[in-house]
This record gives sequence, structure tokens and C-alpha cells, in this order.
Amino acid sequence: MAQAQGQAQGATSTLPPFTKKLLRWSFAIGIVPPVVLVVALVSKSVLLLDYVHVITGGTWTGFDLYMGLVMSQILRSLEVPARVEIAKRLTPTTFFIIPSLASTAITSGIYLAQDFGKFDLHSVWIMAAGVVVLILVAQGFGVFLPNGVRIFLELAKAKPDPGLISKLTIRNVRLAASQAVFQVIIILIMAHLAIY
Amino acid sequence: MTSLNTDALVAVVAFAGALLLVFGLLYRMAARSVARGELSPEGVMILRWALVGYLAIFAVLAVTSFLS
Repeated sequence: MAQAQGQAQGATSTLPPFTKKLLRWSFAIGIVPPVVLVVALVSKSVLLLDYVHVITGGTWTGFDLYMGLVMSQILRSLEVPARVEIAKRLTPTTFFIIPSLASTAITSGIYLAQDFGKFDLHSVWIMAAGVVVLILVAQGFGVFLPNGVRIFLELAKAKPDPGLISKLTIRNVRLAASQAVFQVIIILIMAHLAIY
Repeated sequence: MTSLNTDALVAVVAFAGALLLVFGLLYRMAARSVARGELSPEGVMILRWALVGYLAIFAVLAVTSFLS
């Protein structure tokens, strides 16, 4: 009976008013890296291409390190309601930015390796980079992204489960720590490729 | 002279394919929640806009494979 009434009335969204604003901000920042990559390729500027790759890769790595080493400790020290308040703001703000940084860093890396004649799929170092990238992408699309969307969906429910939101946020932050380890490994591979 | 960069296009299509797969599963889950009256339609609407935003980013990246 109560369920039928709920369906008839429709569930009420509990999404905070700032969510859409933060999502728009995230998209406005997230669209910049691929657009600058287009500019680098159209202008045939290897310097700009290198810059796009380094800044997107570096920012992606820095974000993972920050989330894994700093935010994880902050979130652990907070009560569940405070974690939920952070999740409400952190999820929409990073929603487009992180996948855009990751995708642009990887795509520009392919162009750069080709430009420098290092994109040899039989090279152990290129294969190692490919494996690490696959792990990072699988984690990103397989865990980070679905968790972020699930947080949104939970927030849009009439009765959001704060425990679930907190759990998903902590899971993403912990995953960022493991991503940070792979980021450190891939930077080692990149440093080798740049010198040899 | 520009030509198609297959390696880059394969990478972008793989990203977009993985994204569509994940979004498809989440959309189905969200649509069921709306049908049960647990989730407001706003949740599904945000999911649609999020998909449009991601597709825009990947479309720009896909364009780059024709520019190198």
C-alpha cells in the first residue's frame, strides 16, 4: 500500500541544489584537455603535444596521490554524515575532470610515442606501459566511474542510504591509493622511455 | 597530409565502449529503481546528461585520431 502510494506520488529527489552547478564546472574543465590536444595536433606543435601529455598525466597522478595519501586519512577521521557531505561535492566536481585527464594523457601519449618513433608494440617498455594503462583504465571505468554514478543515484533517492554513500566514497579513495602506486610505476616507465 | 591514426582511434573507441557498457548497466538499474518508485526521475535525467558530457569529451578525442 505504502509502496503503491510512493509510486503514485513519485520519489522526491534529495540532490542538493549545487550538484548541477558542480557538474557543469566539472564538464567545463574536463573538456579543456581534449580541446587543447586538438589545437596541438592542428598546429603540429610537438612542444604543445608534450605539454598536454605531461600536464594531464601529472595532474592525474597528483590527484590520485592526493586522494590516496591525504583525502583517505581525512575521510577516515570524519563521521558518516560529514563523509556524505564531502561525497555530495567531491563526486560531481571530479565527475568529468578525472576521466578526461586520464583519456587525454593516454591518447596524447600514443601520439607522442609515435612522433618520437618509440611506439613499438614489441618493446618491453611499451608493453609494460600498456599493461599499467590497462589496469588504470579498468579500475577507472570498472570501479571509480560506477561508484561515482551510484553515489548520484543514491543521493537522488527519496531515502538515501548514508552508509552506502560513505562506503562507496571510501572505496573510491582507497582505489585512488592503489592507482597512485601504478602511477608511480608508469612514471618510471615514462622516464625510461624519455631517456633511452 | 592527415590520415587516420588507427592506434589512437582504437584506444578512444575502447574507452567509449567501456563507458557505454558501464552506463548501460547503471541506466538499467536506475530505470528499475524509478519504476519501483525509489528513485526520482531526476536521477535518470542526470545520468543522461552525464552520458552526453562523456560522449562529447570522447568525440573530441576521437577527432584527434584524424588530425595526427
